[in-house]
Amino acid sequence: MEMEKGKVVVEKVRGKSTVIRSFSKYPLKFITPRKVGSSITDAVWIYSLTYGGGIVSGDSISVEFTIGDGCTAVLTTQSSTKVYKTLGSKCSEQVLEARIGSGALFVVIPDPVTCFSTARYSQKQVFRVVSDSSLVIVDWFTSGRHESGEKWDFELYRSSNCIFAEGNQPVFLDTVLLEQSSPVDIAERMHEYQVIAMVLIYGPKLKHVQDQVQENVKRLMSQQLQIPSTRLGCCAKTNSDNCLVRPAFIASCSAFGPKGMGVVVRVASTTTEAVYRFLHHQLAGMEPLLGVSPYS
Amino acid sequence: MDQDLVETEKRRKREINIDPGLQWSQWQLLDSILPTGGFAHSFGLEAAIQARLVSGPDDLQNFVIHLLENTGSLLLPFVYSATMNPTLDNCQKLDRILDATLSNEVGRKASVSQGSSLMRVAASVFTELPSLKSMRDVCIGSGVVSFHHAPVFGIICGLLGMDSGTSQRAYIFMTMRDVISAATRLNLVGPLGAAVLQHRVASVAESMVKKWMDRSVEDACQTAPLLDTIQGCHTYLFSRLFCS
Repeated sequence: MEMEKGKVVVEKVRGKSTVIRSFSKYPLKFITPRKVGSSITDAVWIYSLTYGGGIVSGDSISVEFTIGDGCTAVLTTQSSTKVYKTLGSKCSEQVLEARIGSGALFVVIPDPVTCFSTARYSQKQVFRVVSDSSLVIVDWFTSGRHESGEKWDFELYRSSNCIFAEGNQPVFLDTVLLEQSSPVDIAERMHEYQVIAMVLIYGPKLKHVQDQVQENVKRLMSQQLQIPSTRLGCCAKTNSDNCLVRPAFIASCSAFGPKGMGVVVRVASTTTEAVYRFLHHQLAGMEPLLGVSPYS
Repeated sequence: MDQDLVETEKRRKREINIDPGLQWSQWQLLDSILPTGGFAHSFGLEAAIQARLVSGPDDLQNFVIHLLENTGSLLLPFVYSATMNPTLDNCQKLDRILDATLSNEVGRKASVSQGSSLMRVAASVFTELPSLKSMRDVCIGSGVVSFHHAPVFGIICGLLGMDSGTSQRAYIFMTMRDVISAATRLNLVGPLGAAVLQHRVASVAESMVKKWMDRSVEDACQTAPLLDTIQGCHTYLFSRLFCS
């Protein structure tokens, strides 16, 4: 089993956020391109790759990130994380632990996890922050290779995201567990939605992004929700087709944490593209801080 | 035949080896007439109807089952811990953890609203438990505790002398009772149909209790992300009957 953890440390070197240490164990690899986006913004981009393009049954990947005071670091992937089918009852696992310093910003914006038929996958992400740290975390997964008809066919998916403030105070604790052995199978629980996403935006530096996202989601959803009517009144309107059709995209936004320091957006969508577009739109306000707009 | 009946009755009396006074308290705690405001909440059902995820009795049955599973996986650990250890310290600890776990603002506010109501009512009703009132006073004074529903319910059960199996089963029962009641007021099903549905789902509810009972709060998880997403939309509903 995996004993040694991968490690990435970001500190200010000559005033710029720099990866001063990067170590990873097979099958994980980190790539830090020399320059991403404009050279005016101080942000270091780190790409995580898995050899073979995916996670194989029984793989266990564990990494520790330290983001130093005042630094900005972005962790992303090159493509969707594929979790291949399980051999026996082994579970593939990824663990990320991050410490974010004072005035620092850590942005985790991966492509979605795609679990193939019979796959078993578990991931845990723990973020330790101080009073003026900022975080953007996107955690999302699809139903599988849904274009090929593989929909919610995996055995187990578990994803845990936790944010702890100083003194180990829990700020955000969330674990999603989807297991095929339940009395209700996963596909039935999901109706025709193929993608589930969660976006966390936390910290004092990001208030403007949070407010904008709250507003956007409210506006988007208010148009979608209506009291169903069995009488002609509803169907007589111009958008009569929408009467009985479920929204292809559902999103809701909640404040969390002390003084509403954070905002969590939950999304369910029938297509992956719609979620990419949504993420791009909602996180566009991050461009000045990161040099590039996420999910462009 | 008569001998069998006598034996059955003797066995039943041995099994329910509790103080009859506790039964009266149990029944009162689970009676919907207890003024805890549970009927102001639809557990995301109203939003699900407006999003056309639930439009008839079959959808409703599935919704109820998904909700009960999610209640089991997410909230039973808190009921369990509170019943086993109904102290002020544990109350504050569980409350803090649950507040961070209920990231859905709609669900979180509903939990606090129901929990505070229940605490207030229980402190007045069960006067033989002075620790209830003192716990409540300390927590209000400190301003830190929110009085989330699941731990409060667990503490009351624990202080009354109920075992944790019963309190966890009762919590699932109450959730089922309240969501089906909401369904009747949302005109998804009539009162008789609701009663039929409740009994039909009872065996599934029991399997949920058995599956999710007696777990640690560290293992609390949600198993219905779609439900969580749609419940969060409740505040976007232009016209609504329920608080959540």
